Amino acid sequence: MNVLVLLGIILFLLMIVIGGKKGARSFFALFLNFVVVLLAVLFMNDPSLNPIVITVIACTIISCINLFYINEINIKTKTAFVSTLITIVILLVFIVVITEQAMIQGFGEEEIEELGIFSLYIGIDFVKLATAVIIMSTIGAITDAAIAISSPMYEAFCHHPNISRKDLFKFGISIGRDILGTSANTLFFAFFGSYLALLIWFKDLSYSIEEIVNSKIFSAEMITILCAGTGVTLIIPITAWISAFYFVKIRDKKVPQP
Amino acid sequence: MQLLTTKMTKKSRNVLSYILLAILFISSFLFVRFNYGLYERPIAKVTDVRIQDSIENVDMYDNKDLLTTQELVAKVMNGEHKNEEIHLVNEFSSSGAFDQEYKVGNELFVMIEQPAKGQSELTGTIQDVKRDKYLLIVAWAFIFTLLLVGKKQGFFAIISLVVNAVLLSYALDFYLQTSGIHLLVICSISIILFTAISLLLVNGFNEKTYAAIIATLLGTFLSLLITYAVMWMTSEQGLRYEEIQFITRPYKLVFLAGLFIGSLGAVMDVAITMSSSIFGLYEKDINISNKALKKSGMEIGKDIMGTMTNILFFAYISGSIPMLILYFKNASPLGFTLSMNLSLELARALAGGIGIVITIPIGLYITLLFVNRKRARQ
Repeated sequence: MNVLVLLGIILFLLMIVIGGKKGARSFFALFLNFVVVLLAVLFMNDPSLNPIVITVIACTIISCINLFYINEINIKTKTAFVSTLITIVILLVFIVVITEQAMIQGFGEEEIEELGIFSLYIGIDFVKLATAVIIMSTIGAITDAAIAISSPMYEAFCHHPNISRKDLFKFGISIGRDILGTSANTLFFAFFGSYLALLIWFKDLSYSIEEIVNSKIFSAEMITILCAGTGVTLIIPITAWISAFYFVKIRDKKVPQP
Repeated sequence: MQLLTTKMTKKSRNVLSYILLAILFISSFLFVRFNYGLYERPIAKVTDVRIQDSIENVDMYDNKDLLTTQELVAKVMNGEHKNEEIHLVNEFSSSGAFDQEYKVGNELFVMIEQPAKGQSELTGTIQDVKRDKYLLIVAWAFIFTLLLVGKKQGFFAIISLVVNAVLLSYALDFYLQTSGIHLLVICSISIILFTAISLLLVNGFNEKTYAAIIATLLGTFLSLLITYAVMWMTSEQGLRYEEIQFITRPYKLVFLAGLFIGSLGAVMDVAITMSSSIFGLYEKDINISNKALKKSGMEIGKDIMGTMTNILFFAYISGSIPMLILYFKNASPLGFTLSMNLSLELARALAGGIGIVITIPIGLYITLLFVNRKRARQ
C-alpha cells in the first residue's frame, strides 16, 4: 500500500476516535483545502490571470473552510474571518514590495541544473508566484491565531457583558501575547524542518556566510519565515480590535444606551 | 516612595532598551549599506540602464514569453577596480524564473573580465544579486511587529527563535564533523533541547511547562515511530525521493529528520495549549473532578485539532507551487507532476497531523497526572 494512503487512513482514524464528528469535519476540511490549493495552481497556469488575485480568492475560500466549516458560522468566526482578510491584504502589500525588490522569485542556481530539461520561458510571472507562495504558506497559521483570539474574547464578553471596548481589546491582546510565542514556534519549526536538506547542503559545500545570506534560495526562505512570523503577529491586534468593536457594537444595538 | 522609584527604574530601563534598539537598527542599516569592503566577490552598483531590444519567444509547448536584453553601466564598489565603471549585459524574460530586470540602484555580484589590450572599458558578467539589505528590512519588520504587539513575550519569542536557530546550526555542524553518529540520534537530542528551551522561555518554570515538555516529547517520538512503521510496512511506496533537492547525504535520513523537526513546533503548541488550559480550569476551581477536566480537555483538543493540522499543511505544500506550474507548463501530466512534487510534502503534513492529534490525549493525561500530584500534596 502507498505510504500517503496509509498515513492518511491513520490520521483519519485518529481524528475520528479523538475528535468525533468534529474530527471527521477537520479531516475533510484538510482534503477540501488540498482541492482549493490544487485548483488555484491550475488557474495560475493561465498567463492572463493574475496569480496574486487567484491567491487572495483561494485564501478567502480557505479561511471560509477553516473557520465556518470546521467551526460554525457565528459572531466569533465572522470576526475572525474579517480579521484574516484584513491581515492578508496588509501582509500582501508588504510582501509584493519585498519580493520585487529582493528578486527572490523562481529558482536558484543550485536548483537550475536539475531543471535543464524544462523550458523556463513559460510566460508566468514568477515574482507574483513568489508572493503567492508566501501568503499561502501563512494562511493556516493566520486563521488559527484569529480564532484563538476571537473565541476567548467572546467568552470573556459573555461573562462580563458590561466590559468596555478598551478593556475587551486589552484582553484580546493579552491572549494574543500568550499564543504569540507558540504560534511563531509552530511556523519556524515547520520551515526549519523542510529546509533541513538545504542547510546541510550549505554546510557540506562549505558556503561562506556572505554566499548563504545573498543566495536566492536562502533569502527566499528566510523572507518566507519572517513574513509568516510577521503575519501571525499582525493578526493579534487586528483581531482584538475588530472583535472588541463588533461585540460591543452588537451589545449597544440590543440595549440602546440612554 | 519605593513604588515610585521602582516605577522610575522600570521607565528608565525601558528608555534604555529603546535607545539600544534604535542604535542596533541604525547601525545594522549602515553596515549593509557600506559593507562592500568585506565582500571578496566584486560588487557593482547599477548607474544606468538601456534597453537594447526585445524578442518574443515561443517555446515548444507554445508558452509565449518576452526576452529583453538590457545594457547596464555600473560602478564597481570594492576590490582592485573600485570606483571604476563597468559595462554589463543582461538578458531577462518577462516570467523571470531564473533571470530578472535590473534597475538603477541595484547591487550585483559580478565577475570582472580582464580588459583586452587597447581597450579601456571594463566588462564583466553578472553572477547574483546582493540581497542582504532586503533580508535586513524583513528581519527588522518582524522584530518590530513582535516587540510592538508582544512586548515581553514578543522579546522572548525572538530569543527562543534565535537560540533554536543557533542550536540547529551547531547540531548540524556536529553531525557533519562526526560522521559516526546517526542523524536521527543527533536530531532526538536536539529535539529535547529545542522543546525545553522554547517552552521554558515562552511559559516559564512551572508545572504547566513541565507537563507540556513531557507531552511534546512523547507525542513527537510516538508520531515518528508510527511514520517509520508505516514506511517500513509499505516499503516506502509512493514517496518520490528524486524530488528532494540539495542532497549531499542519505536522503531518507534527511527526510525523516526534517519531518521530525518540522512537526515539533505544532506538537509543542498543542501540548502547551492542553496543559495550560487544564491547569487554568483546575486553578479556577480546585475541587473540579478529574472526569470534568477530562471532558473539557477533550473539547479543547477537538477545537484546536483542525486548525493546527492546517497550519502544517499550508506551510509545507505552498513551497511547491512554482515547481508545479513549471511542470504543468512543460506539458507534464497531472498525476506525474503531483506525485513528483507533493509526495514528500504530503507525507510530512500527514505525519505532522498524526503527531498533533496524538498529542491531544497524551497532553491531557500527562497534565492530569501533574494536577493529581499537586492535589495529593495539598
